Amino acid sequence: MAMRQRNVLLDGEENAVEMEDLEEDFAVSNSSDADAAFDTVIGNIEDIIMEERFQQLQQGFMEKYYLEFDDSEENKLSYMTIFHEYIELLEKDIEQQLIERIPGFSMNSFIRSLQQHKDEVSGDIFDMLLTFTDFLAFKEMFLDYKAEREGRGLDLSAGLVVKSLNSAPSPPFTTCTASQIQ
Amino acid sequence: MGLLTILKKMKHKEREMRLLMLGLDNAGKTTILKKFNGEDVSTISPTLGFNIKTLEHRGFKLNIWDVGGQKSLRSYWRNYFESTDGLVWVVDSADRLRLEDCRQELSALLLEERLAGATLLVFANKQDLPGALSKDAIREAMALDSIKTHHWCIIGCSAVTGENLLPGVDWLLDDIAARIFTAD
Repeated sequence: MAMRQRNVLLDGEENAVEMEDLEEDFAVSNSSDADAAFDTVIGNIEDIIMEERFQQLQQGFMEKYYLEFDDSEENKLSYMTIFHEYIELLEKDIEQQLIERIPGFSMNSFIRSLQQHKDEVSGDIFDMLLTFTDFLAFKEMFLDYKAEREGRGLDLSAGLVVKSLNSAPSPPFTTCTASQIQ
Repeated sequence: MGLLTILKKMKHKEREMRLLMLGLDNAGKTTILKKFNGEDVSTISPTLGFNIKTLEHRGFKLNIWDVGGQKSLRSYWRNYFESTDGLVWVVDSADRLRLEDCRQELSALLLEERLAGATLLVFANKQDLPGALSKDAIREAMALDSIKTHHWCIIGCSAVTGENLLPGVDWLLDDIAARIFTAD
């Protein structure tokens, strides 16, 4: 700093400006590359979990296990086993998708940079990822799905249900519910 | 460990704690949970699965997990270890015949890597029963003094009357808070 001030005095303003530019370039380049890479991954994760493909993955999982769930206060031990399977399924899918989308992607190095930026890590995307790891939210999701599947729920997502009927035998209640609401 | 699990560990929410309550069957785990939550404890049947209560206490959000203790269920306990801040080990102080079984189960838990960072509170429960061993006798039977790997404390209590439940949980909170939230 003292050096630069002296330069300003000796050589006038132009030189000083040049030096400053140079410094900034050096300072910024390394971290901005890493930041950009980090942001790319985050952006891709956002895309992945918002896609219909991902929601179908979740729905397929619920379809497989929803009969196991009951709306009673005490939880069955099997819920926890299913919960762990669910987390693993989502983790593997997200990783697989990132590998396909980002050349040279490595989950291990991404996790390392996550841990390095521990305090800056925030925002909707992380909140959303964290809800996947919340057991009570998980149980609630299954009970909602079950209620909907058995025609007890207020089916506000009738459009989404209708789509999935292509591959499954059609439960007659879905269109009923939709028209009853209206 | 995958992305979600690591993320969850990283974002340990401030003033939020996860407590895991274990012990042999009929120790009184569910009764403690319900009593602490202000619920009726007159008709409690053996837990075959697990219960979760989320309570606010002293400005902390406590997620308390109570898992059934029957022998056939104990192999499932491992599913609940992750992210545990405090382990509550509940002993039926009147069940003299199973004290050795009780000690063995506890010492096996303390070897678990995923419980390595947890504070241990031992509740010597059922102090209201005439045949109950004292807190100090339980301390000896559980060989608590040989535990060097965990912060621990033993408190005599009665889940039915509610006696000493609060001091136990308060000690646990203080110990966890001192470890976790000041370290951050």
